[in-house]
Amino acid sequence: MKKLLPYLAALLFSWLWVPSLLAQQKTISGKVTDNKGNPIPNATVTVEKTNRGTMTDAAGQFSLEVPENSNLVISYTGFRNQVIPAAKLASGSQVTLVEDVAKLDEVVVTGLATSLKRRNLANAVVSISSNELNGVAPAQTFDAALNGKIPGAYINANTGAPGGGLSVKLRGVTSVYGNTQPLYVVDGVFVDNTATSAGINTVTGAASTGATSTQDNPSSRIADIRAEDIENVEILKGASAAAIYGSKAAGGVIIITTKRGKQGRTRVNISQDLGVISARKLLGVRKFDADKAASLSSDPATSEALRQQFIAAEAAGKIYDYEKEVYGNKGFARNTTLSLNGGSEKTGFFFSASQKAEDGIVKRTGYRNTSLRLNLDHKLTDNIKIGIATNYINSSADRSLTGNDNAGVTLGIALSSTPGFAELHPDENGKYPNNTFAASNPLQTVALMRNNESVNRFLTGLTLDATLQKSDRSTTRFIGRGGFDFYQLETNALFPAELQFQTVNKGTSMQGNTQNLNTNFILSLVNQFRAGEQLNLTTSAGITQEKGDYNNLLNVATQVITDQSNVSQAGALSATQFRTKFQNSGFFIQEEALIRDGITVTGGVRFDQSSNNGDASKYYAYPKAGLSVNLTRLNVIKQGVVEDFKLRAAYGQANNTPAYGSKFTSMVVSNIQGYPGSLVNIQRGNPDIKPEKQTELETGFDIAFLGGKLGLSATYYNKKIYDFLMLAGLPASSGFSTQWTNAGDLQNQGVEIGINAKPVSNRKVNWNTSVNFWLNRSKVTKLTVPSTPLGSFGYVLGTYQIEEGKSATQLVGLNGQGVGVLGDAEPDFQMNSYNEVTFFNKLSLRFLLHWKKGGENVNLTSMQNDFGGTSADYDDVTNDKGLPDGVYRIMQVGSTAEVFVKDASYFRVREIALYYNFGTIPSIKFVKGLRVGASLNNYITITNYKAYDPEVSNFGTGFSSGIDVLPYPASKRATFHISIDF
Amino acid sequence: MKHNMLLKIALLLLGSVMFLGACKKEYGNLNSPTVEDFLKDATQSQLNNLVSGTESGMRNEITLYLDDVATIGREGYRFSGSEPRYVTDLLGANEAQLTNNAFYTTNPWAARYRVIKNCDVLEASANRSTQITAEQKKGYSGFAKTIRAYQLLLALNLTYQNGIRVDVSDPNNLGPIVSYDNGLAAIISLLDAGKTDLTGATVSFPLSSGFSGFNDAAGLIKFNRALAARVALYQKNYTASLSNLNESFFDLNGDLNTGVTHEYSTGSGDQLNGMFIPQNQNGEIRPAHPSFATDIVPGDDRISKATLRTSTASLQGLSSNRDVWVYTSSTASLPMIRNEELILIYAESKIQQNALPDAIVALNVIRGKHNMTPYAGGVTQSALLNELLYQRRYSLFYEGHRWIDLRRYDRTNELPKDRTDDDIWIQFPLPNTEG
Repeated sequence: MKKLLPYLAALLFSWLWVPSLLAQQKTISGKVTDNKGNPIPNATVTVEKTNRGTMTDAAGQFSLEVPENSNLVISYTGFRNQVIPAAKLASGSQVTLVEDVAKLDEVVVTGLATSLKRRNLANAVVSISSNELNGVAPAQTFDAALNGKIPGAYINANTGAPGGGLSVKLRGVTSVYGNTQPLYVVDGVFVDNTATSAGINTVTGAASTGATSTQDNPSSRIADIRAEDIENVEILKGASAAAIYGSKAAGGVIIITTKRGKQGRTRVNISQDLGVISARKLLGVRKFDADKAASLSSDPATSEALRQQFIAAEAAGKIYDYEKEVYGNKGFARNTTLSLNGGSEKTGFFFSASQKAEDGIVKRTGYRNTSLRLNLDHKLTDNIKIGIATNYINSSADRSLTGNDNAGVTLGIALSSTPGFAELHPDENGKYPNNTFAASNPLQTVALMRNNESVNRFLTGLTLDATLQKSDRSTTRFIGRGGFDFYQLETNALFPAELQFQTVNKGTSMQGNTQNLNTNFILSLVNQFRAGEQLNLTTSAGITQEKGDYNNLLNVATQVITDQSNVSQAGALSATQFRTKFQNSGFFIQEEALIRDGITVTGGVRFDQSSNNGDASKYYAYPKAGLSVNLTRLNVIKQGVVEDFKLRAAYGQANNTPAYGSKFTSMVVSNIQGYPGSLVNIQRGNPDIKPEKQTELETGFDIAFLGGKLGLSATYYNKKIYDFLMLAGLPASSGFSTQWTNAGDLQNQGVEIGINAKPVSNRKVNWNTSVNFWLNRSKVTKLTVPSTPLGSFGYVLGTYQIEEGKSATQLVGLNGQGVGVLGDAEPDFQMNSYNEVTFFNKLSLRFLLHWKKGGENVNLTSMQNDFGGTSADYDDVTNDKGLPDGVYRIMQVGSTAEVFVKDASYFRVREIALYYNFGTIPSIKFVKGLRVGASLNNYITITNYKAYDPEVSNFGTGFSSGIDVLPYPASKRATFHISIDF
Repeated sequence: MKHNMLLKIALLLLGSVMFLGACKKEYGNLNSPTVEDFLKDATQSQLNNLVSGTESGMRNEITLYLDDVATIGREGYRFSGSEPRYVTDLLGANEAQLTNNAFYTTNPWAARYRVIKNCDVLEASANRSTQITAEQKKGYSGFAKTIRAYQLLLALNLTYQNGIRVDVSDPNNLGPIVSYDNGLAAIISLLDAGKTDLTGATVSFPLSSGFSGFNDAAGLIKFNRALAARVALYQKNYTASLSNLNESFFDLNGDLNTGVTHEYSTGSGDQLNGMFIPQNQNGEIRPAHPSFATDIVPGDDRISKATLRTSTASLQGLSSNRDVWVYTSSTASLPMIRNEELILIYAESKIQQNALPDAIVALNVIRGKHNMTPYAGGVTQSALLNELLYQRRYSLFYEGHRWIDLRRYDRTNELPKDRTDDDIWIQFPLPNTEG
């Protein structure tokens, strides 16, 4: 049996196992500290070019048996590696690690089971540390915490409603109406990010039929994840890095690693945040006088009545600012986190329990999230490690009723036509008057309605890492990772009968129940082989499988019995069920070669089949390859001012599977008087639908100067999408309106430039900064279907339109002469800067700046307010016709959409915070650390965009972001933080 | 040895899962049947599902269709706090035009052709089914053809001289857009073919109460001929309209409301009548055009079709103090065609044939039923045409006629413009996807 082992290894990995020679041994011990003298626990100490090593204990101490003439490599996350000849190291000596500003030694995930140091990486992989993610001015949800932090991304908050809902597009749009969102992987588990509607379309009628629509603005389920638990986030932005994730990787991959237990004394931390949430901006309301009130009606008698109504209201002091009453509330936010972190030599654990509760800026809205996490790592033997990450989350969001509608029921639509002299307040019996200016009374709507999403979610990720064989030259490991993501989502929307707009339905109660189970596994063998002094090979191969099973059941009850929400207490009940299932299976092989410690060559391929493809049995291949050449390591450039200089290029392919059900021409249910009816769906099936294929070529360089105190990185990418998936418009006379089609090719090209620096570093002040610049340009290079407007409200108001030779995100509309290009949702460029300035090692100022230059929105918020005669600048006269601006702008409806397609540039101080670290408190022995701080999130925005916020999307996370229709206004937050270590 | 064991286990695991993982997975459609399920060998109950789906689908966007016709025909307005284009584009405010990709153009068109597609599936499925008799097949195909013709007519009513597509059975290879006149001719021949199929057919499918009295082969033929009478009238073929009336449910002395209607209910998967908006609402309302009350003859009981509001509604320079009150509950019936229209088709055909006394008899039936005195105006073709158009305007208020009637006589310029820069459109553009 023993003889078979090298044979098998050779069979699998095509090279032989060569045993190493034994050398003279000696024992060395020492202490590892940072430059301030603080011990670094859990630092890795290894003998260079071998697998032998240990870790430092809680006091930073280590002891290791090493060969006489070897070098020791000491490394720890966030610090530069130190290489010290064993001979130079006297027992008990101190090793000081310096901070890794340029992040050269950061370890980055490059395969499904392998990783590389950043200095050898062929891709520009963004990584976000827990401090950057959550350590400045924490956002409400994880997805919001990513905003402004990923160079190369266009992140957009769809709505300000509590509970989140963001769209993330990495390196441009990858699909037109296909999935454009990245894949999220938490501790090896592919998590679900579906946005499930509560059936709001039943009351809003935003889309013409059905209980749900793309305009219902639910939250994205990735929002459930707690940012506090996260150690690190890595973003693989395109196929060149993400190909190995196969058919789910076309939108990029966001790899989330949660905190793990560290050896040593159990550290207990309690953190408490208290904050205030308020609207980022209110638009203000029109200042009426008697004449303006009278001008609301063209009918002389009504006009006079309005004049009298205004005069009476003014005399009684009853002129209100309803916008402020509805959106101007202050919400209280609290967040408590308890975490325990510790471990022995064999077992490490991280436990956290946390709860946050936040009110929204609209009364009776808010967000609550309770989470429990237990991460365990255990060494079964020296060769077998198991890890388990478990997370239970309970979240609940009350999101109110905002956005587009065709029934006049949302808060925004109702406010848009309600002047301040209307009386909407309840009488002494608590009865709300009908709003005579709109279909609903927004104060009554806020007071009586409910739109809640609540989630119970379990996430479990398992890792088994078994070293199958190990020698000084070769290590073979079996790495199995997998897990499941299960959640149950309940949506609960209630509109009682006494609401002004419930005169027909007499009370509507909608209860939705969704269960989703995602499972996935990756089983792989990884061989690390030291073929010689100058060649290291890492081979991995394995199999993967991902499965998803989503089941949404929505009951819509109308004619509801007074004060009841139970759907059976109703005169009429309609049920809708929607299910999806998929299974992707694949296998992969990947080879990484490190030559002379300076050249890295990577190649890999993944084969995948998916039940969503037209041909479910067909395997698609996704290859990738990368090359990085480190000129300083190869001594082509002498180390000096330039510490490290690397050139890199990478290429990869990834696919995006078609949406579930693309293949079928369904017959949907359409009943009449109790007779069950089948009616052809408006979407025509496409049995030939293929996945869209993406190829990405990325190239760039990374330079570190001045001992790693200054890092510069530049990347260019060219991402081509072939056969992109589009829900194309069909000639409706065919009986069908849409069909999923492989509609053509498009291209995204872009540039990303980043600088990391430590401009000031002395005993008093330390300043770490990073500045990033990025831009993306897209172009539709081929279109095989007729070009039609999509994703908005047509030419009259400005719309997207896919057109050959044009930008994929162009906005077109009427321009006075016909239909022309009016703008583009793609920003000209974006920049961000993250800074941390520490004074005397105690006080630290952190801030994140974000500048989006260019990129247009379709601003229908202002249009609606003009149409309702209530916009704050309605009576200004800045147009050449000498008319009130509100009148002038409405006159443009139908002749030009230029007044709606508006530049949505902004400069934003996303996060700014001041923290003071007391360190240990001598008088209180058991307190090992104390930090206090204050932070502001999204407090300062400079923009010319005239609506609540330039970040908005009425159509949620899909392709067509930036359509602005009276959303829940975005909020800002001021928070006080205290954190105690025990 | 331990290492070897582990390796063996790992390889076994890899091998076995690779085998399992490579199995082909097809989940099928988990949410609904597919067209193919019906085309294979449909059972009678599947075919009946298609009939009900067709009847149900006919109601989709009918509200928007009626708002389109009634707004341009100045029967009323659709005031909406959330949708300006009802009062800008449809009324031609300022520079506004009807656009080829706006909801008012594309939605009604798509809804009609969706039903036509369903009729195609119904006919094809019935033809391929081995589980029904030849007479039953004729019943299904006669129904399908009749409904298809009706849907084409509604599409053509909006696009008028821009035409419609008639041959749409193959979605990959759509026939040409045909002119208004050819469109009407195609609709007539489709109705004729439907009548042929229905003759001697067995109707073994259930229809809603909107077809009560017309839910057998003979009844469906009457419905078919009523539609044919309307189309012949549009073709100015008055001989044909009169002969079609004879085979329909036309009854000069009958109930004006006898006919075929869309029905609504609160049942699961059913629809409510979107034309119903309670009286005296705000924000989302359907007020009558002010001329409805100013033009009506005193005493005409049809004034009740637009009731006085407690407060005048105003929007963007438009005002009205009456709500449209034709559909008085959320489950009120919505007529497709009824006897009152047939009597008026009879009167109009007689006027055109210069059989003026016959026309006056018919007009007096209508007048009598609406609390009006017998006709005492001029006995000329043109005077009687004016009288006829008045009766059609008030009898068929908000049933989708006035604009089309005035257009037939090239008299849309008689419609009032409420704001100086408003326009009166005569037709909708073809949806831009029709290329």
